[in-house]
Amino acid sequence: MNRICFFVLVLIGVNIAFSFGQNHSTTNAILDVGIRFQKSISLYTENGITIQYTSQKLASQRLYFGASYVTSRLGTAIRSNAIKQDNFLINASWYFRPKWLIQPVVKANVGYFKADYGSDLFNELPRTSLLASPEFGLCYCPNFPLKINASVGYNLFTGNGITGPGTLYPVFVQTSITWNVLKKSAN
Amino acid sequence: MKPFFGLFLLVVISLSCSKEPAITTEMVDGGTLFDPSVYNPEKYLVSRAIPTPTAEQARKPVIIACHGYSATTFEWDEFRAWANGRTDFYLSQVLLNGHGRSYEDFKKSTWQDWQAAIVAEYEALTKAGYQNISLLSSSTSGALLLNLVASGYFANRMAPRNLLLVDPIIIPSDKSLSLVKALGPMLGYVEVDQPATEDKVYYHFRPQETLQQLQSLLTIVRKDLEKGITLPSNCNLKVYKSKKDPSADPVSAVLIYKGTTLPNGQPIDVELIDSELHVYTRLNLREDVTSKDRQNQTTTFTDIVSRVLR
Repeated sequence: MNRICFFVLVLIGVNIAFSFGQNHSTTNAILDVGIRFQKSISLYTENGITIQYTSQKLASQRLYFGASYVTSRLGTAIRSNAIKQDNFLINASWYFRPKWLIQPVVKANVGYFKADYGSDLFNELPRTSLLASPEFGLCYCPNFPLKINASVGYNLFTGNGITGPGTLYPVFVQTSITWNVLKKSAN
Repeated sequence: MKPFFGLFLLVVISLSCSKEPAITTEMVDGGTLFDPSVYNPEKYLVSRAIPTPTAEQARKPVIIACHGYSATTFEWDEFRAWANGRTDFYLSQVLLNGHGRSYEDFKKSTWQDWQAAIVAEYEALTKAGYQNISLLSSSTSGALLLNLVASGYFANRMAPRNLLLVDPIIIPSDKSLSLVKALGPMLGYVEVDQPATEDKVYYHFRPQETLQQLQSLLTIVRKDLEKGITLPSNCNLKVYKSKKDPSADPVSAVLIYKGTTLPNGQPIDVELIDSELHVYTRLNLREDVTSKDRQNQTTTFTDIVSRVLR
């Protein structure tokens, strides 16, 4: 489990370092930072942060690399008995029509899921899982640092009562609201 | 990957099969094989067998055993057989409304209908003067009982002494149930892969309407648990949960443990059972029953009765 966590963190770190590296050398770099609201269909709301980067060198700003962290701690589990669970994601996105106001987007996420059951009674039950999910959606991308991205995703790995955490559900919807923090320097 | 294939199959089935199931008269779905409690309720319900108890009878503990979704009173027959000859408690086996009759009856039933049969027996017993009642559930009945507590039903009534939940479901193992509201109308029904012998006591076809009812119930109870459910005074609760369960995800026990407290604020009892069966207390008609399964069943029956007789 710790090795997976370490692997994910290293990937995120490399990704962010790569992003800032691009920033220094490219005037058209985009670094979107913001919040991600996620809801599993028929289960929890999980919210968190998201970051993504692209530049002219990445398929003329069509390809983005990013990372997200969403958790029920900032959603359904606030002041409730819901299970506290965390999702660590890294992702690659492809924006199909970069000049359009509303752009179709596909995204591939991989990452790590961890649930906290709150008692040693349940130590034998599965509580961690790898995450892998495609997302399909649209991005409202005005000529302005703001982006609003809404999509539907499908978790390829879920709990089934025998293996996998039971509160990892297949279909989720998400909305991300981000701000390009490099917009000033880019202009 | 399994859920992905499940979803894919769901869509393929919805596009390829008719919306009318191929029901035969060899199935409980067929409307000719009825649950035996329909014909002889006095053999299953204490309220019908002893409607006017003596003072001594009224003090004797009564266990109301409630079966799960799509099942019948058969689910607790082995408990009755195990207890055969015991005179220190009564057993009442409730048939949930919409169950054990026909596919059409099942299709038009709601989860409130299923729950109403439990309420009817509980009220009949309390009205008759029975003073020591415990509720025993399997699978979906666990959610029905938790909903009764959360709704405040017992606030102005005599509370049950024990709630004993065997493999209660809050989170389904098959996560495609979470999509039933969107995909169910296309699907029409779900066919269960079960032996022909089980077709006589478990519905072979599950109408999507009832799956939607099940999903609605589970959502309501999950949200009740998130807010917190406090048991009524002098009521204890124990969850018996298979560690691996292909129908009711074991994490259901976590949600009940986190969401339910005794009146004094103490946590409830949970026992994880080393089993891969759903409703591991029902072994009849199953294939490949192990000695461990039999031991689990006997141990749980013994524990249930010891709690009821405390």
